[in-house]
Amino acid sequence: MAETTQTLRSAGAARGRKKNSQAKEIWRRYRKNKAAVLGLVILIFILGIALFADLIVPYSKCIEQVGADRLQGPSLAHFFGTDEYGRDLFARVVHGSRFSLFIGVATSLMALVFGAILGASAGYFGGVVDNVICRIIDVFACVPPILLSLAVVAALGTNLRNLIIAITVSCIPGNVRLIRSLVLTVAEQDYVEAARSYGTSTPRILFRYVLPNAMGPIIVNTTMSISDMILSAAGLSFIGMGIQPPSPEWGALLSNAQTYLFTAPYMLVFPGIFIILSSLAFNLVGDGLTDALDPKLKD
Amino acid sequence: MKKRFALLAAACLCMAVSMTSFAADKTDIVVAMDADVDTLHPTDFSTTVELGVLNQIYDTLLYYSPDGTKDPEPRIAESYEISDDGLDYTFHLRDDVTFHDGTPVTADDVVFSIELYKASEYQGSQISMLSSVEATDEHTVVCHLDAPYSPFLQGICSPMIASKAYYESSEDDFVNNPIGSGPYKFVSRAKGSNIKLEANEDYYRGAPEIKEVTFEVIPDSSTKAIALQTGEVNFAEIDSATKPQLEANPAITIAEVPTSSFSYIAMNTEKEPFDDARVRQAINYAIDRDNLVAVCYDGEAEVNSNICAKERFGYSDDQFQYTYDPEKAKELLAEAGIETPYDLGEILVAEKYSNLATVIQNDLKAVGLDVTISVKEFNSYISDLQNGSYGITALNMTLEGDTQTLEMAFTSDYIGIANNARYSDEEMDKLFGQARTETDNDKRAEVFNEIFTKAQDEAIYAVMCNPMTLYAYNSDLTCPEFVLEGNYYLYDFSWAE
Amino acid sequence: MTKYVIKRILYMIPVLLGVAFLVFTILSLTPGDPGSIILGITAKPEDIAALNAEFGYDKPFLIRFFNYIGDIIFHFSLGTSYQSRGPVMADIMSRFPNTLMLAILSMAVSSIIGISLGIFSAVRQYSVMDHVCVVVAMIFASIPGFWFGLMLLLLFALKLGWLPSFGASSLKHFILPTLTVSLTSAAGLLRLTRSAMLETIRQEYIRTAKAKGASEKRIIWKHALRNALLPVVTTLGGGFGASLGGAIIAETVFAMPGMGTLITTAIRQKDIPMVMGATLFLAVLFSFVILLVDVLYAFIDPRIKAKYQNGGKSRG
Repeated sequence: MAETTQTLRSAGAARGRKKNSQAKEIWRRYRKNKAAVLGLVILIFILGIALFADLIVPYSKCIEQVGADRLQGPSLAHFFGTDEYGRDLFARVVHGSRFSLFIGVATSLMALVFGAILGASAGYFGGVVDNVICRIIDVFACVPPILLSLAVVAALGTNLRNLIIAITVSCIPGNVRLIRSLVLTVAEQDYVEAARSYGTSTPRILFRYVLPNAMGPIIVNTTMSISDMILSAAGLSFIGMGIQPPSPEWGALLSNAQTYLFTAPYMLVFPGIFIILSSLAFNLVGDGLTDALDPKLKD
Repeated sequence: MKKRFALLAAACLCMAVSMTSFAADKTDIVVAMDADVDTLHPTDFSTTVELGVLNQIYDTLLYYSPDGTKDPEPRIAESYEISDDGLDYTFHLRDDVTFHDGTPVTADDVVFSIELYKASEYQGSQISMLSSVEATDEHTVVCHLDAPYSPFLQGICSPMIASKAYYESSEDDFVNNPIGSGPYKFVSRAKGSNIKLEANEDYYRGAPEIKEVTFEVIPDSSTKAIALQTGEVNFAEIDSATKPQLEANPAITIAEVPTSSFSYIAMNTEKEPFDDARVRQAINYAIDRDNLVAVCYDGEAEVNSNICAKERFGYSDDQFQYTYDPEKAKELLAEAGIETPYDLGEILVAEKYSNLATVIQNDLKAVGLDVTISVKEFNSYISDLQNGSYGITALNMTLEGDTQTLEMAFTSDYIGIANNARYSDEEMDKLFGQARTETDNDKRAEVFNEIFTKAQDEAIYAVMCNPMTLYAYNSDLTCPEFVLEGNYYLYDFSWAE
Repeated sequence: MTKYVIKRILYMIPVLLGVAFLVFTILSLTPGDPGSIILGITAKPEDIAALNAEFGYDKPFLIRFFNYIGDIIFHFSLGTSYQSRGPVMADIMSRFPNTLMLAILSMAVSSIIGISLGIFSAVRQYSVMDHVCVVVAMIFASIPGFWFGLMLLLLFALKLGWLPSFGASSLKHFILPTLTVSLTSAAGLLRLTRSAMLETIRQEYIRTAKAKGASEKRIIWKHALRNALLPVVTTLGGGFGASLGGAIIAETVFAMPGMGTLITTAIRQKDIPMVMGATLFLAVLFSFVILLVDVLYAFIDPRIKAKYQNGGKSRG
């Protein structure tokens, strides 16, 4: 008994070492892709803005309405100009990063969690479980995602929470299918067979062996889906189903600015740049990770 | 990215491009619609877009100028009489009016149309006071009322006169291939896209100058502004935000038309603290209406704290106007025993009016009242509104026609409908009852004066402004002056020689 | 094979019923009733109730659902729209051609761009051009669709006056919407083609072909491409759904009467028959596209065909 613990422990240590060198290897391969490095730099920059938004400019600045300053172009007082309420757009863009990134990350993670639970169960258990889950997913997948989101928002009402639910629901089917097929591949591998023969409990096998080994594509998919989610939220804002005012979400800023396309084009430019940059950053990082995490592409 | 910005800036700067000049023989017109029409049924329609198209195809008994100042003009009826007791309205029809299929318009058709209109869930309430209508001969129609109702004449100008025989031959065609007696004939409709009309050369007031009309569906305001500038569209109602750009273009003329619709804050008087008139007055004083009009309407609205538009019958400058006075608002709140900062809860708005709420939230905060904005889709908003499950809400309402229609905002019969203050007051009900039967205009004006003075004293609503309708059109197009509400008749339009 | 296709078509029935139930439930959860939405704030309760009764909306949820399904099965009717009070099918048929056209054009353009650049990138892996292709495609994929559409509108319709700004009456009208949808969705195909190509290039048989002295061009076109395109083809079915999403935005910006704007307006107006009809219509179409892609796939890849004939599990 004691001996077994000992072996397991050293195996754990070995795994730790292996992880370390694996990470180095991944980073080495990631670095080779200049575009991915650029993406990472942009990502860190934008995450920094979101994290330190309060230090850059207080939140009160982005809801404060100064009637006399309506629709002013960019200046030293207002770096990105002001909107039709006389609110400082720089402050709104800076604080908007929190909402937009939060929406992107939260929806992707929630879709991942649901996708992992449903997809892994379907793939691992097979049989009836697989059948039931797949049939439900087939139904959801038959409705175009944007329409599903729209209908959910219409049913629940428009606010941040409901927007996140709506977008999440629409991208669960894709995640379930992806994770199911990954699990199917991994579950047939020898080491899973081995663990199963030792009598390891099913959830343990799933979370200890199966999912971590399917992690590469999952990470890539999730990273890139953040970008899609940010754009989806912006699209929903454009059709008039975003989050409630005066919260400064980028998509809302952009769709609002669209009204002033001719008189105040700068309103369209700055939030646009930030949406494109952050979405691009997640895409580039995801693309970099694809190559870096794929063991088949070692050379 | 920089390049993209430059491109955008360049595109914006160079937009004063001159448009193709129109030859004097231009005889067609393209009009933009904000949305597709759901139906072309002459009575079962619900939107102003539909009305805009139907107005060209159908004719009415009389034409009543919406500001209520002029006598009605004859259309299908060449004259009318009202009995001394105010219960019978007799209309004498012209004998030279024909439908687009060549059949004459008879008294039977008029009776049929008025009855169809009254039975309609969509429009019928406008002539609900009508008890019966009959044809006394081929060219005479009499409407009977149970009780005198002074604005009836204005109501009876709404039903569009349609052919009874055509309706009986095919209800489908009646809706999808409408036949009226108006200046334009229906040609074709591509759902979601456009509607085409052509001139009715046999129109009894003379053939229209513009021969072909196309209504194009363009929901997006920027796209519409671009289409106006490229000349793809000749006439459109525009969004105030695009006005400066269009105004700068010499090939485009803008018309600003007042409307009686009003943007306002409704406070649920059944709920605390809005049952206290001082709180409602405080909110009235707290709103900077000039700023609100600048922000939400780009200045294209008339500031007015009175629910009655200035162009409407019954309005008087003697009726009190609330102005921006945050200090006074704070005093009133203190008097009402409200300790600021005070949480008023949610301000409920439909998505379309979230801009009103954003400004109101800011103004209320300045006097120590906190609200959070709750934006709802129109359908869930409207059910909340009917149930009265709100404390405070901001919206825009149109109660067109005679000033009497404003009773819907005040009388207890309309709680859960248009009386969003859920205001119930016997005296108010009585006053509107008086205005309803009074036939003498001066006396009626006095009653309305009493009503609006009372409404302002008690601050039943916090009305902010009357938004204007903006039309942008090709400068070569000659349009008559638009009157209150901005209904237009393409029959009156022409291209400059 | 025929047996497989029939089985798949039969399988669509429960899925479509599921779609119908899902959408019907979500829509019924939305507050409000069609009568008060149509008649507006100033309508009297009795008029609203009368209108709702006319629509059959006064009946309970499940009854309405079964009535609806019954109508489809026994009368082949998708119902009557609350808003237009005309048959839903007529509204769908007047708009569907536009959406189909837009979806096909967009898919064609994005496939051409995505696949050809993907191959190019894979063949020149890690070259400057590879990076440029990938990054440019990614930038397009990162632009919000409506923003991009507006920029195109400003440049080509307003500034240059080359193309019309709204409508769908000629092929010319489809250029800008197609660009909007396809450019923002080409990146996915590019990445997929690129990685599939890279993977096949590394496969044994390509090495063998190389060793046998086949020219590089021949290897790419003859051996690698065919195998690399397999996974790409499978995503085209899903891509159809995605281009529909893009189409909704493009239809709004370019005022094009299509299915997207039809459904979005209907959702807002709680026009349940219209939303149901249009969604089911799209779901049927979508299912057939996927089936078609699967069958096509079987024809391209003999391994899969054999699997079907052995009655093996259909999709992994």
